[in-house]
Amino acid sequence: MKNPDAIVIGAGIVGASVALSLTNAGFKVLVIDRGAVSSGTTGAGEGNILVSDKDPGPELTLALRSRDLWFEMQDDVGDTFELEAKGGVVVARNDDGPLMILASEQSNHGVTIQKLDHTSLHELEPYLDQRYQSGVFYPQDSQCQPMLAAAHVIRTVVQRGGAFISQAKVTRILVNQGAVTGIETTQGNFSAPIIVNATGTWAGELAQMAGSHLPIAPRKGFILVTEPTKKYVFHKVYDSDYVANVASSDADLQTSTVVEGTRAGTILIGASRERVGFDGSMNYEILRRLAAQATSLFPVLRDVQLLRAYRGFRPYAPDHLPVIGEDATVKGLWHSAGHEGAGIGLAPGSAALITDAILGRESFMDGSAFSPARFEKVSL
Amino acid sequence: MIIVIGAGPAGLAAAEAASRNGTDVALIDSAPRKGGQYWRHQTAVKGYRSNRADTLFAKIENASSITHISEATVWSIEKDGNLFRVNYLQGGQESSLTAEKLILATGAYDRSLPFPGWDKPGSMTPGAAQSLLKGHGVLAGKKVVVAGTGPFLLPVATGLAESGAEIVGLYDANTPLRWALSPHALLLNPSKFLELIYYARLLKRFSVTPQFKRAVSSFSEGSATISRVNSKFNIVAKRDKSRLVDVVAAGWGFTPDLSLGGIVGCAQRVDVDGTTIFSVDDAQRSSVENVWIAGEATGIGGADLSLIEGEIAGLSASGQGVRPLLNFNRMRKQIFANALKRSYPIRDGWQSWSDDTTTICRCEEVKMSEIRESVTELGAEDSRTAKLFTRAGMGLCQGRICSRNVSEIVAGLTHCTVSDGERIASSNRPIASPISLGLLGDGKK
Ligand SMILES: Cc1cc2nc3c(=O)[nH]c(=O)nc-3n(C[C@H](O)[C@H](O)[C@H](O)COP(=O)(O)OP(=O)(O)OC[C@H]3O[C@@H](n4cnc5c(N)ncnc54)[C@H](O)[C@@H]3O)c2cc1C
Repeated sequence: MKNPDAIVIGAGIVGASVALSLTNAGFKVLVIDRGAVSSGTTGAGEGNILVSDKDPGPELTLALRSRDLWFEMQDDVGDTFELEAKGGVVVARNDDGPLMILASEQSNHGVTIQKLDHTSLHELEPYLDQRYQSGVFYPQDSQCQPMLAAAHVIRTVVQRGGAFISQAKVTRILVNQGAVTGIETTQGNFSAPIIVNATGTWAGELAQMAGSHLPIAPRKGFILVTEPTKKYVFHKVYDSDYVANVASSDADLQTSTVVEGTRAGTILIGASRERVGFDGSMNYEILRRLAAQATSLFPVLRDVQLLRAYRGFRPYAPDHLPVIGEDATVKGLWHSAGHEGAGIGLAPGSAALITDAILGRESFMDGSAFSPARFEKVSL
Repeated sequence: MIIVIGAGPAGLAAAEAASRNGTDVALIDSAPRKGGQYWRHQTAVKGYRSNRADTLFAKIENASSITHISEATVWSIEKDGNLFRVNYLQGGQESSLTAEKLILATGAYDRSLPFPGWDKPGSMTPGAAQSLLKGHGVLAGKKVVVAGTGPFLLPVATGLAESGAEIVGLYDANTPLRWALSPHALLLNPSKFLELIYYARLLKRFSVTPQFKRAVSSFSEGSATISRVNSKFNIVAKRDKSRLVDVVAAGWGFTPDLSLGGIVGCAQRVDVDGTTIFSVDDAQRSSVENVWIAGEATGIGGADLSLIEGEIAGLSASGQGVRPLLNFNRMRKQIFANALKRSYPIRDGWQSWSDDTTTICRCEEVKMSEIRESVTELGAEDSRTAKLFTRAGMGLCQGRICSRNVSEIVAGLTHCTVSDGERIASSNRPIASPISLGLLGDGKK
């Protein structure tokens, strides 16, 4: 492609979403990835599009809008990525006080909630351990197949006049007088006045190539996948400590299990959170903890066979908020990265924020909490 | 103590050799009996030179320092200080055993290539037909076609014929003329001539004449289509023949199971024939300290080579010297093994046997058209992305059967060759064998 209006680096779900939203705004977009589509963290993600696990604040506002944009994206691209408003059920075994307070606050900020007593909880999830007394139902929680989504979205971008070049690693970001002019890749140079860094866990490296700085680091997670079974789990079900873990800054291992059934009939159990750099090794103790938590939620899963376990590296920033916006020092360099364990859910919302900012039009929310400038003095 | 995993020729030879100086050995295998895939017999072993097996079985039984843990399936291995903790499932329980040293001898399984009908009942691998017979005394069917490529088809055909099956045809897609490329390998291994004569005579007795440059190109409802293929394995048109059969046993060489060595972190490489194997040194040591690997997982070479490799691994792991003659014999057998790879190559033409509706991944029922679309429509460029888009390789067998085929189909469609990195990555399976969530969670510390 000669002279694109914008280059998006990264063909994960975040890059794909930005590419589509810019294309729909009239830009000629070139997407570049060092691997194939979905070859980064998106290929290891679970596909949860959650509002239930977010505290009221900018991330929740983004998540709510993003969740609706997922369904708009489906109307635009086609029903090709298994999007489903499955609903989430958050349960409490003993003290449900913190969960109920959170749910009420979320409800004040636009989240649809339904508080569940023992009877209504076990009607929704008949195989849940009877010891769970109460819970909250979040009908907006949804899911998709993220790898298929990224692939179909990029395919649509190409059909609408964009281009995608795979196996092209970006080695330099070309900057002249404080503004980007293009990129150097293993498949040649490309120039454009707008460059979007959507390289997830690797976004810090890319920022550095432009002489800038983003403190993004990996947070490892494991997911278990079972054999196909009878339908035992009807929603996304998790214990309320999950929310505390997601928000935690603790480097140590945390496991709190989200259990769900998939269309293929398998059960997904995720996910641990650990900050151990890019150490890819398997830790069986984590798998055991995830299995123990899943079977304590659903004792019926004890006899279900585990077939696979895989891991990925979530991109996270020190304050656990995504980085969305123009670089603090380099003009024309935009970032949409660092979405940690919520990049699938937050991808279309982040794309809308970036496109609105590039066009200088008003957006659905004030995105300053996500500004890259907030890190000027912070490092990991 | 040394833990030997796998009780086929390599593992048995390793355990026996290690026990010679009194080293304690635990020999773990998932089967009820010793012998692995190849010597999976109910009683005394029949076939060419198989008294070797009986001698080895007897030695193992008489060695007091060897404990045989049978019907135990290893699902993972962990590092615990300087010990290896081997976690296995046995009789519905999880147990574990620790040792300083490991010898992995986990063998290989038949490689299958897809063709229309290969997923139907009645279609199986030669290994499966043989194990039904050897392990359970069950004859897979009355009328059998044995097909594929390689000398392993001969003992399968003769074994089935001896048990009363009618061998309707024995078809090799390659031609024995390819041996002309490796005369030195035959000269260095004269006993192989005797073995060939042994099987040729047996086949003659059952009136089976092997035919070459032919493959089963489809199978349905008791009928197999035999096609002539050229040296690229493309079907030469209008030479098809139909045969009425109950069973098609088709095998295309072997694929080693690399799960356990992969879990421990042993370095892998790609062999001349595209098979992913482990790198080992002269003493069969892997790249990981205190882990030895012997047999098919270091390069497909058959029982003769496995026995020698196992013996060397057992001697080295137990701190005994290795006689130069043993090294020389291994070299001789390796030359023969490499000649086998040269004589019985698998050519890409097999990809044209399938039509759009042919199943490529049996566990997840993924069709050829879906694999093609994942490449042409969605931009898959390797088996990992094709798998994410289609679920090929995500089922019960975890891609053991289809992932190599998927890689090659994707490479064929994108006009690339499969990279070594992709071949190695697709053998990475942290759960070597399924375990129930209940047992897994109960083992929590
Ligand atoms: C176990 C696990 C479970 C998860 N579950 C969920 C979930 O249920 N819901 C949810 O919302 N999120 C989930 N996540 C998080 C989610 O997967 C990520 O936030 C999201 O995928 C990030 O998308 P991305 O497009 O930013 O990054 P990626 O998908 O990693 O894309 C970045 C791309 O940039 C490319 N790239 C990097 N460097 C270069 C370079 N120099 N040149 C060219 N290209 C380059 C990479 O190849 C890659 O394709 C999970 C994550 C993990 C690990």
